Amino acid sequence: MPYFITGDCNGCTACAKQCPVLAIEGVAKERHKVNIRRCVSCGVCGRICPRGAILDGHGNLCKSVPRSQWSKPVVDTKTCSACGICVTWCRADALRISLPAFHGDIHVFAELYQPNKCVGCGLCEENCPVGAIRMAEVRA
Amino acid sequence: MRTPVYAIIDLNKRTSARFEIDESMYRKYIGGKILGARLLYDLTPAGVDPLGPDAVVIINTSPANGTGAPCSSRFNMTFKNVLTGGIASSNCGGQFGVLMKRAGYDGIILRGQSETPCVISIVDKQITFSDAGELWGKDTEETQNAFPKIYGKLVIGPAGENLVRYAAAVSGERVAGRCGAGAVLGAKKIKAIVAYGTQRPYVAKPEKFAKYVKKWVSFLRNHPMTGEALPNYGSAGLVSKANATNALPTHNFKYGHFKDAQAVSGETLADKYLVRNSSCISCPIRCERRVQVDGKEVKGPEYETCGFFGPNIDCISMENMLRLNYQCDLLGMDTISLASSIAFAMELKENGLADFGVSFGNSDNLIEIVEKIAAREDIYGELANGSKWLSEKYGGKEYAMHSKGLEMASYEPRRSVGMGLGYATSNRGGCHLNGGYLALLESVGVLSMDALSTSAKPAFTAFFQNALEAISASGFCLFSAQSFVPAILFKLGPHHKVTRAVGKIATHMGGGVRALLWMLPILHFNSLYLFPHAEVLRLVTGLPFYTGSFVHLGDRGYNMERLYNFREGLTGKDDSLPDRLTKMPQDPNNPRTIVNLDKMLPVFYRIRGWNTDGSPSKRTLRKLGIRV
Repeated sequence: MPYFITGDCNGCTACAKQCPVLAIEGVAKERHKVNIRRCVSCGVCGRICPRGAILDGHGNLCKSVPRSQWSKPVVDTKTCSACGICVTWCRADALRISLPAFHGDIHVFAELYQPNKCVGCGLCEENCPVGAIRMAEVRA
Repeated sequence: MRTPVYAIIDLNKRTSARFEIDESMYRKYIGGKILGARLLYDLTPAGVDPLGPDAVVIINTSPANGTGAPCSSRFNMTFKNVLTGGIASSNCGGQFGVLMKRAGYDGIILRGQSETPCVISIVDKQITFSDAGELWGKDTEETQNAFPKIYGKLVIGPAGENLVRYAAAVSGERVAGRCGAGAVLGAKKIKAIVAYGTQRPYVAKPEKFAKYVKKWVSFLRNHPMTGEALPNYGSAGLVSKANATNALPTHNFKYGHFKDAQAVSGETLADKYLVRNSSCISCPIRCERRVQVDGKEVKGPEYETCGFFGPNIDCISMENMLRLNYQCDLLGMDTISLASSIAFAMELKENGLADFGVSFGNSDNLIEIVEKIAAREDIYGELANGSKWLSEKYGGKEYAMHSKGLEMASYEPRRSVGMGLGYATSNRGGCHLNGGYLALLESVGVLSMDALSTSAKPAFTAFFQNALEAISASGFCLFSAQSFVPAILFKLGPHHKVTRAVGKIATHMGGGVRALLWMLPILHFNSLYLFPHAEVLRLVTGLPFYTGSFVHLGDRGYNMERLYNFREGLTGKDDSLPDRLTKMPQDPNNPRTIVNLDKMLPVFYRIRGWNTDGSPSKRTLRKLGIRV
């Protein structure tokens, strides 16, 4: 069920900038709109909205959560087959396939190399075919 | 069950319409190249010009594409072959297929011809057109960078725009290379097609599917071929194996052994130039090479490119080859057909028939010449027509290394005669993958069937042509099938008595394989060790796919393609090879080193259930359920 932006939106564009699938459209300082064909209900917009103007798929008002408390992907490097599906889903460019540890190393895996850019959408976890990614709260 | 959704795009009017594939057709033809062949047969009249406005281009996916199953990102392009005039199906592992599916379409059908260069965007089920503007004329990298990173892109380069007959379509760093996929898009004036969406692919039994995928991924990662050899050396690792068995085309297929092949081998590539390996989406094998050349990290060459820009033109410069490989990707050209045409031009010069400024042993001027070919400048425009065209104009047909017009891949058929039969009978021309890829069992794999014997080859060729057809059509990479050779044989090595014995027994297993082909309807099981693809297809579609019905599906596809070829005028007479392979022994002291097509073809036709002229018989068509 897609998310919904209420009339409280003041068009700050915070959600549109972070949406991992570019599903939020609108111009600055005007009410934004969720593209229901594209929304994957990841909840990023709800967590980031400073105005509390976003309803989730069940019509509940989303609460804003500080960025430090967002969950981030933790990769089980033994299970990961480095197939790269998570990397293609990550619009934030937070994930990549690790570089080889030495010349000729073929045991590479997905890694969170830019944790600051991660928006905690969980698309990597959801789409991992081998279940090697788990979203967890990472404490600094 | 969910039937595939296609869009039919009319480029004359710039309109599109959505339609669903009929359920009975879906059950029979599933998707990818098999459904593509059926649609192409139905949608085009006989004799259309492949580069004309009436030609149809089908770009489609398969049920397994984008589901996360291993090696399942490959989409397919089906169109009328620019080089042969028969069927063409070009398979590519780029992101476009997966993203087109996420955008809500399993396939698109392009009709008509745009007046001005255009870009088609398929975003969230909506199809829009825009002018290509300044993108026209740009290389494939620049063109792709003009769109958001998360989009799936399928673009052509200058070669496609200039209708080079073997131009390729490029998606990410993967290429739909063969048969002129770039030229047909260029003729329709399509510079790029981009796709984006977030729709999840349909999986009929998601829980069982997830479990099976884990099992299969772990099997592939632990198999010596898909878990070690391919990730370490890529397909280029086959160069030294082919060289050792005299199956590496050298000097335009004149010889099969190159004394300096080590310089252009996968091992040298891995030692000196490799930065890391990479992969198509959802592939745990990771055979793609990322190499460093001129201070830039670029995509590395495959086996074919190593063979053709190396031994086949007598060159040992790996740097030149890496540059040429990258250049071909930028310009959007198929390295196999290009390099084979160049080698043919070199031999024409050697024999004093024509001079294109290229000669054996010199690859320094090739970068410049390749650019001129892509631009069709001066006399180089003739090289852009392929070796068949050149041989018709300048002579030298006996050493123009093509079958039906499509240049052969880098496996010397006189040292793997089953591969020779495959090249001759392949529906899209001289293609190893469409031809059954018996070279893997004869000369470049761990198993070594008697490479010179014609015994059992027709049966094996027919079986593997069907199997590879089904694997391609269901959206998987053919490398995922390399694990069917038992791991134990790799551990024992090619020279161990057990491995040699298995190879010898296989050479006499023709009758067994024929029996297997008759028994397909009762092969009611699936095995991780044989064709895991069938089980994945069963779990994804919900249709009863088992090993037997899976290979049977490939048989249906192969016959469908054959029917298309016959309608377009390619008959059994075109199941031929150049005289160099059929009449001149590779080793003058060993008369067996030729491809004895006359002996193999009648047996092959009989096994396939074809008439003596090579056309599928009515009985065979009825058995396969093909109605024309």
